Amino acid sequence: MASFDVMPDVQLYQPVELDDALSLAERYGDGGWVLGGGQDTYGWLKDRAKNPQAMIDLSGVESLHGIRETDDGIEIGAMTTLREIIRDERINRDYSLLAQAAGRVASPQIRNAGTLGGNLAQDTRCWYYRRGLDCYRAGGNICYANGPESMNREHAVFDASRCVAVSPSDTATAMVALEATMVIASSSGERTVSAEDFFVGPDTHITQMTSMKSDEILTAVRIPTKWAGQRFYFEKVADRDVWDFALVSIAVAMSMDGDSIAESRFVCGGVACTPYRLTNVESAVRGNTLSSESADSAAALASAGAEPLNYNHFKLPLMENLVRRAMRG
Amino acid sequence: MEFATYRNDVWGREVINGVSWDLLWLVVVAAFVAIALHAIYEAMQKRGDKPSSDGERVERHDKLDRIYHWIMAISIFALLITGVFPIIGLEFAWLELHWIAGIVLTVVVLFHIVRSVFFKSDTGMMVSASDLKEPFDETVKPGKYSAAQKGMHAVVTILTFLVIGSGIIMFLLIDTPWWDRTNSLSEATLGLVFFIHGISTLALIGVISLHIYFALRPEKLFYTRSMIKGWISRDELNANHDPQRWTPDETS
Repeated sequence: MASFDVMPDVQLYQPVELDDALSLAERYGDGGWVLGGGQDTYGWLKDRAKNPQAMIDLSGVESLHGIRETDDGIEIGAMTTLREIIRDERINRDYSLLAQAAGRVASPQIRNAGTLGGNLAQDTRCWYYRRGLDCYRAGGNICYANGPESMNREHAVFDASRCVAVSPSDTATAMVALEATMVIASSSGERTVSAEDFFVGPDTHITQMTSMKSDEILTAVRIPTKWAGQRFYFEKVADRDVWDFALVSIAVAMSMDGDSIAESRFVCGGVACTPYRLTNVESAVRGNTLSSESADSAAALASAGAEPLNYNHFKLPLMENLVRRAMRG
Repeated sequence: MEFATYRNDVWGREVINGVSWDLLWLVVVAAFVAIALHAIYEAMQKRGDKPSSDGERVERHDKLDRIYHWIMAISIFALLITGVFPIIGLEFAWLELHWIAGIVLTVVVLFHIVRSVFFKSDTGMMVSASDLKEPFDETVKPGKYSAAQKGMHAVVTILTFLVIGSGIIMFLLIDTPWWDRTNSLSEATLGLVFFIHGISTLALIGVISLHIYFALRPEKLFYTRSMIKGWISRDELNANHDPQRWTPDETS
């Protein structure tokens, strides 16, 4: 694959109003590239694996920045940097799960530039796809990562449908655990989608990671008060401790009734094309206390139904151990 | 507008990727134009009174054939909806539904072949040289099936074989409850299979559109009724068929 030291010749737009950005997104459609912090953009463009006609840089749109209080929780602008999220007092107090997840994204330099919207909407890291091969995800008719000799250590163990790539976003698992709502705008108006429905698997749309259309822009994420101040657990396992994507991660939100779990959401990253909810674990732990015994029984359910590929069977005990650690008192 | 789309294989060579789905709109427009022209032509023709559906009834399709026809129709519609709707932007988890409907279609087609070849002496659907006179001579009436019906059956048969054959190959290349996928075809061959599946699907859309149109035409509605209830009247038989070439059983 050709690699270049310079960016391709691409039209750059830097709107300062959201309406202008939406008009540009509508005008360019599939040929447009919405730019957040650029951390998932420049590699694509420098490798010439993606060749948009125009880049729509959202950094100048003030309304997309910042963390705001709402009647039912908080709203985080899509262009808010991960560093701002990590350092926000309200998020650390009430939604520390998100702060922890954002704190494990890549490296400090990338967290300074990377945005929440960009982290949520980023493309998969499947190396066959990133290399620019015309696989299913790129509109072709084959998956190079799922064959007898394919290197698929990082790939999916759940919900693969032809494509076996996984969602790379660390904050996505936290958003699903916190029952966040995504605010998506287009020239024709605004719509909201639950975090769970925002991420789409290859069974529904094999060339996209999210339910956004090409003329839409993620403007904000709303997190309800439902889980504010509850018990959280986040852990990410990667080959390196910094600047790496999750092999498996877990984001857990638990509301306690005394010593027992009243309600919970267990969400795994790195195991499916979307953040993967462990609904069987959630059902099993209801009414249980946090203890080694309940942790062991919940852990045994974590990987039920998994279909590992040649090189990623290790993800199953990893998932089980992450559930076990989340359930320890 | 192109017939096919192309991509680079893992070695960077250009290979066929599949059919160009832009052709879908061409097929839809062509089917609509053909239907509109035929409807206008028919509206300008002077037709005699329609034969009565009252009186003595004769059997046209037995119950098993009717059940077969409607199961096949349902499975083809399920295949078209699950296969084409996601392409035109109606997104849902389609793949599993698609191959389940494909299995149903394959089973009913196999059943039909076995039954027709080994258990029915009726060869009325086979196209013969004498059928070619029928469209050009109003005095020539068909046996059980008209030349148009035989032609439609022949075309649908070929397209169904193509779509099932390519579909089975594609089915072998995805994960199912019975086997794990394998990338065992060369990328060029795989693309050709996708192309055959796609182009035969497009052709089926056109042919099925015409089939539905003719099934709903006023002078042909008695055929549709016979595919539901099994019978046509003696008047309808005499007006549209040659009793020398088709002598159906009387029914109650």
